[in-house]
Parts: sequence; C-alpha cells; structure tokens
Amino acid sequence: MPNTNHGVVGNNSRPSRSEGGHATRALVNFAANYGLAIIFILVLVVFGVMRPNTYLSQANVGNLLTSQSVTALLALAVMLPLTTGRFDLSVGYHVGLAQVLTVGLQVNNGLGWPLAALIVLAIGLAVGGLNGFLVTRLKIDSFIATMGVGSVLYGISNWYTDGMQIAGFSLPGDYTGLAGTIVGVPIPALLVLVVGAALWVLLERIPAGRALYFIGSNARAAELSGVNVPRSVAGTFLIAGALCALAGVVLGAILRSGTPSVGPEYLLPAFAASLLGATSIRPGRVNVGGTLLAILILAFSFSGVQQMGAAFYVEYLFNGGILVIAVALSVYAAARRRKAAAASSK
Amino acid sequence: MRHNQESQRMSDVEAILSVRALTKSFYGVRALDAVDFSLRPGEIHALIGENGAGKSTFIKILAGVYARDSGEIFLEGRAVEPRIENLPIAFVHQDPAFAEDLSVGENIAFGAGYPRRMGMIDWKAVNRQALEIYATMDVEPLDPARMVSTLRAPEKAILSIVRTLAHTPKVLVLDEPTAALPEADSMRLFLAMKKLRERGTSMIYVSHRLNDLFGLCDRVTAFRDGRHIITEDMTATTGARMVEHMLGRAVDRIGEAKQHSKHDRGPVALSVADLVIDGRGPLSFDAHAGEILGLVGLRGGGQEAVGRAIFGATPIDSGTIDLFGKQLAGEHSIARSIKAGVRLLAGDRLAESTFAGMSVTENMFVNPAIRGQSNWRWAAPSRERQAAKELLERFDVRPRKEDALIDWLSGGNQQKACLARWLGERGKLVILEEPTAGVDIGAKLAIHEILRSAAARGVAMIVVSTDMEEVTTLCDRAIVINRGRAGAELTGADLTMEKLVSQSSQGGTVSHAAVKTVV
Repeated sequence: MPNTNHGVVGNNSRPSRSEGGHATRALVNFAANYGLAIIFILVLVVFGVMRPNTYLSQANVGNLLTSQSVTALLALAVMLPLTTGRFDLSVGYHVGLAQVLTVGLQVNNGLGWPLAALIVLAIGLAVGGLNGFLVTRLKIDSFIATMGVGSVLYGISNWYTDGMQIAGFSLPGDYTGLAGTIVGVPIPALLVLVVGAALWVLLERIPAGRALYFIGSNARAAELSGVNVPRSVAGTFLIAGALCALAGVVLGAILRSGTPSVGPEYLLPAFAASLLGATSIRPGRVNVGGTLLAILILAFSFSGVQQMGAAFYVEYLFNGGILVIAVALSVYAAARRRKAAAASSK
Repeated sequence: MRHNQESQRMSDVEAILSVRALTKSFYGVRALDAVDFSLRPGEIHALIGENGAGKSTFIKILAGVYARDSGEIFLEGRAVEPRIENLPIAFVHQDPAFAEDLSVGENIAFGAGYPRRMGMIDWKAVNRQALEIYATMDVEPLDPARMVSTLRAPEKAILSIVRTLAHTPKVLVLDEPTAALPEADSMRLFLAMKKLRERGTSMIYVSHRLNDLFGLCDRVTAFRDGRHIITEDMTATTGARMVEHMLGRAVDRIGEAKQHSKHDRGPVALSVADLVIDGRGPLSFDAHAGEILGLVGLRGGGQEAVGRAIFGATPIDSGTIDLFGKQLAGEHSIARSIKAGVRLLAGDRLAESTFAGMSVTENMFVNPAIRGQSNWRWAAPSRERQAAKELLERFDVRPRKEDALIDWLSGGNQQKACLARWLGERGKLVILEEPTAGVDIGAKLAIHEILRSAAARGVAMIVVSTDMEEVTTLCDRAIVINRGRAGAELTGADLTMEKLVSQSSQGGTVSHAAVKTVV
C-alpha cells in the first residue's frame, strides 16, 4: 500500500512548550497520524484469532481485495473533488453506467474488450468534464450538479438495458480475467495500487496537485496566489470521471454481467472511506493513504463481523455508522487543532 | 444652524440621549475612558476620531453588543440598559447586509413585520408599507418589487436607513455610511438625513470625511485614545481644528520617528495613467524601483482597488497600466502579473492570505510560478524543507519549525510567512495591503525592516494603507487617494501624519466643492 511512506510535511508535531509530557505528546501524535493503521492491525489480529481457519485465508483476503477494489477506486474518485471542498455524488450511478456499457458493448455490439473499455473511458472523461463545467463555469453547487448528472446517468443505464441484466456468458476470458490474480495478487488490487500511487505523487509531490489542498483551505487566497481555481476544480472532476469508468470496467469483469441496478450503493462507502481517511496519515485533509487504509478497515472488519454470523443488513448499519463517526472524528480533531493553535499563539 | 447657544458639556437638560462617564476595557486596555456625550433632539451630531479612538466601542455599547464596565446611559432622561431593553435607537452600518435575493419591500418588512390578512402575508400591503416609509423620508421611492441585488450602492445606503424607520427610532446612529459611496451619491444620502432631521429624528453620524460634516451636522464630538476631547458647534470649528483634536500631540511624536531611505530611487517600474475602476477615478501615478510608495486613503477611499487592479485581481473600466516600460496587453490576470514580477500581499490575512490547516512550509510555497518554476515539476520534500528553513531564518518567522501549522503562529509571524511567500525572490513590484494590521509592535518593526531592505535591493514597493502613522514612518512618498482619485502627493519633510490625515479627510478636489453647491 502506498500509505507507508509519508515523511514529508505530514508529521504535524505541535510546538513543544514544556519538556515534560514530550513522550506522551509524541505518542498522541503518532496515534493521530497512524490511528487507522493501528486499528487495522487490531482488526486483523482479533478476527484472525477468533476465526483462525477462514478469516485470513488466501481465498477470503483475495476475495475482499478484489471486491473492494471497486469501492477503493470510487473512494479515490470522490476524494479528489473533496480536496477542494467539492462533492461528486454522481460516482455511484456513473460506475453503474460504465459497467453496463463495458459489458453491453462486448455482448451486444461484439467489440473487443480493450475498445469497449476505451469508449467507456472516453465517456467517463466526458461525464467528468460535464460535472466540472457545471460546477466551475455555470457555478452550480457541486452537490446539486453532480446529483442531477448522476440521476441522468442512471436513466441512461436503464434506457440502454431496458432495465434488464445483460447476461455475460459470451464475455471473453481475457476480459473476465481482469478479476483474476497475478502470482496470487488480485489484478484489481494492483490496479488500485497503481492509481493510488499516481494520485499520491500528484497530491504530495506535484505543486499543481497540492494546489487542490490550497483551494480547499482558502479558495480566495489560492486565487490571489495565482492558482487557477476553476481549472483545478474542473480537473478533479475530470479525473474522478475517468476513475469511475475504470471502476466500471473492473466491476463488469467481476460481475460477468451488466446490471443497471448496480452502482448507487457504492456512493456511501466511497464517501465513508474518503472522510474516515481524512482522520489519519495527513489528519485534517482527505488523502490517498488514509482513504485506502479506511477501505481496508471497513472491508476487513465487516468481513470479520460477517464471519461471526452477522446478518446481511449489518453492512448498511456499519457503513452509515462509520460515515457519521468519521465526520465526527474529523470535526473533533479540527477543533482540537484549533484549540492547540489558540493555546500556542498566546 | 439649529443650536447656536454655547455648547454645554453633558448636563444638557434637553438631551434625548446622554451618556455619563462611560468606561470599557478590553483585556486591560482602556477602549473608553469615562466618556461623556449628549445628543440633542433633532440634531445631527458628528462623531470623529482616528481608528482606535473608541468610536466603534461607543456605538457597540449603545447597540448592546458590548457590556459597559461603568457609566450611565440616559434616553429621554430615563436610565436605560441597552443590553436588556429594546430601545428606539437604530443603527446603520458601513456595509449594510441585506437579503439580496428578496425584494425591497420584503427587506423592509423584515424589520417592520409582514402586514397580514387572515393570517397570510398581504403582499400588496408589504409593497404599500415600503412606499409609505419612503414617503415619510421624502426621498424618491424605489420600486418595492425590485430585488435588492439589482440596487446600486447609494440606493442600498438609503434603503439601509429606510428599513430602520419602520421602527420609528428616536435616535439613528450612522457608522460611516458614505465610505463606499461616490461623491454625488453621498449627497443623496445627506439630503435624506436632513429630511429625517426635519421630522425630529436625532442622529449620531460617524465619519472620517471631515468636509462632509459642514452643512450637514450641527455639532461635532472628537474622541482620542478612548477619551472625549471636545464637543463644539460646527459653526465654531474648522477642518484643521478637528484634525488637531483627533490627533492631539501624537503629531509631533510621529514626525521624529521618520527614517528616510539612504539609497536613491531607480527607474520607473510602474506607470498608471487615467485609471478608472468601478466608475471611480481617473488616477495617474508612477512608482519607482527602490522606492516605497504609499497609497493612502480612508476606508473605502478606493486605494485598495488600485493595488488590486495593478495585480490583475480587479477589472478596470479604462486607463492603462505600464509595467517596467511595457503596457499590459490583452486580458490582465493574476497569473500574468505574477509572471511579470508583480506581487500582492492581501490585507485581510485570514480571509485572503493564509491557508489554515496547512504547514508554514506549504504556506510559503503556494505557487511555484512566484519562483519562476513549473507547476508540474517534482517538488522534493528535502529540497523544499531546506528552502523553508532558509526563509524562516531570513524573515525571522518563529517558531523556526517548517512543519508547524500556520494556525499555530502569532499574527505577526503569520504575516512574516506570507511576506516570505511573496518576497522570497524575483519580485520586482510588490503591493502590500495594510502590511502590519493586527500585528504587535515588535513584528511591525521587523516587517518594516524587511520592506526597507527589499526596497534597497531595488524592488518597487507600494504600501496600500489606512494607517497614516505607518505610511509616515515607512514610505518615501505618499499619494492620498480619495474616491479613486489622486489628491495630494506628499514627500520628504511634507510627509507628516498631520498632513496625511487632513488631506485624506478633506477630499480636496475641485469637483467636491462644485457638487456640494449644486445640492
């Protein structure tokens, strides 16, 4: 995972006032920055001990990584506009359309999968471009613009399929093989790793990417510093659109069918992971490492609960609860930081 | 004038509002020190004083925003408690806030209450009520159905008064209502105020524009350093006298602190000709390399818009801006200005300058274009950290922790970090808005030193400021801007606080007098 190496400016050590309590403060800081990692390890240990034969089996881990890769790609997709304080609520419907089209173009139109994927990617960029246009040029609130676009996409998916599943028996093995493994590692998980690494470089090492955080912190100051705010914001929606398309291609390969009703249920976990991720690694801002770590925690703890015999509906309770708790934690952490700031400036 | 008898202090029997020994401290600093004040029925009473003299504190106590430490307030002879009682005193602020997307009638109805018929809002009556209130003031009414967002500034200013009249206030307090208004539009406001006076409303009028007070106000009270200095009839005073009351002995003290630059000024870096912004102007001036030029004015004087226009952050109506001998062609933008070597330190630090929740390093390296680097280059953390360390050292930012969040720094150190962002290198023309607002005296001196040394390196500096003391001590030359136009230009021994204050308070343009006689 690309979240293990964040030595840059991330260690937000508080200005030390007294000599005593230095060690405690360091511990608190470590917990603040790497809290999610610690929780993840705890989750693995607890369920690993309770269900020693099944929980950490290669089958279960592989399954989880494969199925969660779609959520992970979508979480990264919502994360990008979130860096600037914008919401992309279209991702759930968008992944549904991308999945339906990838399968449909192959089954109905006989296209090869690379061509189908390319077309879906182009549509993804167009949808992202539309979102960006609505938000930056027409200045429609991102929440409303993307909600509307999402619903339109859902309509198009159902129009294209007439509301019915596209059976994927005839899908080529090359395509469904995308959901397989290379030397035991699920290919979708590798894909997430590559995308995550690229986004990490963009946000942490390239000034144009870091400008997104400046916009999120103070858009007016960013503008007065010469940052092209509309172009940057539109860029985040464009990449989000491409990631949705990619997630759709992967999802089609996993499902081996085109199902128009699939998609909307990904929205909430994607936001939950992205916001929960903002509590760790780079506390206070959404970030790649935190997001991916949050995906792992959500998936592995839910899988553990499931193996202990929880009912199917627990997943919804779980995701909803985590979303609220994640935001509450972020707000609390921000208040703590403000307090620390007030204390140290006196 | 209405009241020509000898001004008595305080024990005005006929006073509608009187204040006795009002005192208020903030964290041990006396903002008001045993202030006495009295307002007669049907008079317009000017309240003047420098920034920090205590005018706002005084008004906020009357409004019940602050609790007083001691003292008494009487309204029509009765001791009152503004924090508890709902008094017939109305307030008009400099930048009145409206529900912009609602109609004029509705904005008035907010205060007056919505007229109802059978429990439902009677929309016809809402509009009728608006017209009636405009009529009582004898000003030309606006269409009550118009959206407030479509109103011009003077129409809003008058609406801000009109909507308070729904409560039929006995006392109206106006806090610099003309600060953002063009000259001719202020006149409309003054006319409305005079009509109100005829109806018997008493007004307290806070303004920095001393010339406006003649012909409008009956008496004037000056505050200085939280103290009541004098109350006198407008007929018995002069502009120079009022400046003296406002500044007191401070004038001599400041004059001595002045340090002149030891280097000569270089070639012209910026040449502005016939600049008109937002209908205000025209303005022409030059700025030289190696010189610290002050653009001075009162709040709302238009000097800020000039700096922003040069930086490409505010569109201009007409005129030309030449940078380093080249006229800016095509669309002027911030990105292009930065590329050309123009820098702008925004005055409102929290709203427009610092990035909360981000580290000091990040706050200093916002835009690589400032250093002439690409937005897409690889930013190696080790190299950035090293560069940050050097900047913290050079600009004396404390603590010397490049990872500290900007929020943890004091105001002065935040400002130094922002200066480091802009002054690090490659800047040729630096515009600084209120560079030391809200910083302590130590940081202020340090920042002045930084600015002087940048000028000595040959950078052209423009300080946009309402802080006359700062301009006097820091600048080599100052241009007084009044309603977007250049008033006096002061340099050398002429650049004194007294002259700056009197020039910016008086507006001093020919058209000013002309408009006044017309109205």
